[in-house]
Amino acid sequence: MRIVLTRRDDAPAWMALVSPLIAVALTLLSGAVMFALLGLDPLKALGVYFISPISDGWALQELAVKATPLILISVGLSLCYLSNNWNIGAEGQFVMGAIFGGWVAIATHGAANGPWVFPAMMLAGMLGGAALAMIPAILKTRLSVNEILTSLMLVYVAELLLDWLVRGPWRDPKGFNFPQSVMFDKEAQVMRLMADGRINLGTPIAIIVVVIAAIMMARTLKGFEIRLVGAAPRAARFAGFDEKRLTWTVFAISGALAGLAGIIEVSGTMGQLQPSVSPGYGFTAIIVAFLGRLNPIGCLIAGVVLAITFIGGENAQISLRLPLDVTRVFQGMLLFYVLACDAVLNYRIALVRTGGAAA
Amino acid sequence: MQINRRQILQGATALAGAATLGQPAFAQANPLQVGFIYVGPVGDFGWSTMHDVGRKRLEEVMGAAVKTTAVEAVAANDMERVATQLARQGHRLIFTTSFSFFQPTMRVAPTLPNVFFESATGTQTAANVSLYNARFYEGRYVQGVIAARKSKSKTIGYIASFPVPEVVHAINTVMRGAWSVDPSMKIRVVWVNAWFNPGREADAARALIDQGCDVICAHTDSPAPLQLANERGVFGFGQASDMTRFAPKAHLTSSVNNWGDYYVERAKAVIDGSWKPGDVWGGLNSGMFRLAPFTNMTPEEASEAERVRDALSTGRLHPFDGPLTRADGTVAVPAGGRATDDQIRAMNYFYRGIDVALPS
Repeated sequence: MRIVLTRRDDAPAWMALVSPLIAVALTLLSGAVMFALLGLDPLKALGVYFISPISDGWALQELAVKATPLILISVGLSLCYLSNNWNIGAEGQFVMGAIFGGWVAIATHGAANGPWVFPAMMLAGMLGGAALAMIPAILKTRLSVNEILTSLMLVYVAELLLDWLVRGPWRDPKGFNFPQSVMFDKEAQVMRLMADGRINLGTPIAIIVVVIAAIMMARTLKGFEIRLVGAAPRAARFAGFDEKRLTWTVFAISGALAGLAGIIEVSGTMGQLQPSVSPGYGFTAIIVAFLGRLNPIGCLIAGVVLAITFIGGENAQISLRLPLDVTRVFQGMLLFYVLACDAVLNYRIALVRTGGAAA
Repeated sequence: MQINRRQILQGATALAGAATLGQPAFAQANPLQVGFIYVGPVGDFGWSTMHDVGRKRLEEVMGAAVKTTAVEAVAANDMERVATQLARQGHRLIFTTSFSFFQPTMRVAPTLPNVFFESATGTQTAANVSLYNARFYEGRYVQGVIAARKSKSKTIGYIASFPVPEVVHAINTVMRGAWSVDPSMKIRVVWVNAWFNPGREADAARALIDQGCDVICAHTDSPAPLQLANERGVFGFGQASDMTRFAPKAHLTSSVNNWGDYYVERAKAVIDGSWKPGDVWGGLNSGMFRLAPFTNMTPEEASEAERVRDALSTGRLHPFDGPLTRADGTVAVPAGGRATDDQIRAMNYFYRGIDVALPS
């Protein structure tokens, strides 16, 4: 006996909207049971998780800061995934963006600089991310090397390069030999939008990127090409689309967006390069991209939801004194239910006798 | 490390908003809420675990006068938010227990002028930011003395984490201690590029023992190197906590971190209003760390180790008295001088006679 999943071709469109709602409802229910078993008031605990991260202006700003890199990276990744290009190395492209952009900040440190410094950093960051992403793209199109492996392994290359730079040539000369760069000058830090919080220019940039990507996917030939190459590569070839060039394009775009996220994170929330600049944004963004159904607007929503559960988990540690593990279990439950609901609603599940007709 | 205009502005607006922000914190009858931010999980058996042991000690000693909260595995990117959130929940004393939190602490502190911050290591203090760390190198000197007594191959194996000054001056000090017994002592170093990675630490220990090292020092947090030393019949030292139980035949002593007393002292200072920013670098005499009971040593060896430990503790012996000569032959500290704390904290060279390259 084995279990066979058959795609339902008749799955109605509203299911795509209802499925995540059911998942959230199931998460809330299981969460309530879990919190009750831990001896907490379930309503209060869920409130800490889901309401406290959106409860006031400061919390909303923090939410935006946390969600911004996830959104930027996941929008780029969804272009890759839609066209069957499996870029798993956004974490490395994020780091490379931080390195390239950070180089501009460090090279201009202490000099009298104009307002051009930050735009130059953003450009350099995008260039860095794109350059790293082009390596697996070219290896894939020229030598048919599996891009999953190459993009993933380049993550370690980027991380070790950053590690070496901040311990060696870019180490702050006045920093007691600790592994960190100088603090970026004011011109080299992302402009903050509010006086009372940390929200910065990165968030509106991410929203603009989402809007452009949404229009591109829905309204332009390029968007059609990306979807067609992914869904029906043979048809795409007949239509005259150049699959290789598309691979380069989507890798370059997603690398550039990850690099942009990297330099915004470094110059916005850290203000300097450290041996580690990402708490795994590049990998989390893969989850965001799929939760957002590889749709730019979906990525925006999923990025915010994931950021809520992350900050909610922190707040649960603070106000409920829950250990980190419990908060992680809760996040895991949410992801599990989202995927499970998708599978149950979009696939017919059947038990098939082994040796029977091929499904 | 400069405070720029934006940070000052933030400080000013935070002052203006502090009345509303800090409201719950000033209900006087309430216990003092103390927050702890850890870089790793509390179960790392090393650095973060020992800070959590300190937190529990604080609760034990102060009882109902304090209420503590720990947030684990926080990335430097998230530190500012966690600290602000702790402050908003009424925490008035926050220990940020990693060097990677130092810059975020300096940025967030001016925006929360009613909160006292304590950063475990850092490079400067501020109106509401103190620094604290322990002079673990004193323990390293004792390790060097013991190692020179125990070693037959005259070679110490050192498992180093990262080439930061803390590790570099520890390696120098181990050798200073070893040379005080036997000037022919040598050292081999393996860099594992991790503070906690039992697999890699054990591999490093294996490589060092294969190269003839018969006393293993670890500057990483897991008991794995010591366990391997036990298995291979050589000696080793424990790190952060008393690791005797992991290696009954190999364990000589451990450097045991003890932050609890400092946490109690600082919490009391906040309660009675006497908290001032300080830069505490506590040695053996401060109680911030101690050496676990000497094991697997003859009574003579143990009494010598005790004598050296007490000399360091009372300040009769100082591991950084000149002359200190760099590996390239230049003099760092002339005879009769002594390295300043800042020089020790920034040390990025090995002494002459230590044949080890710094990676990078």
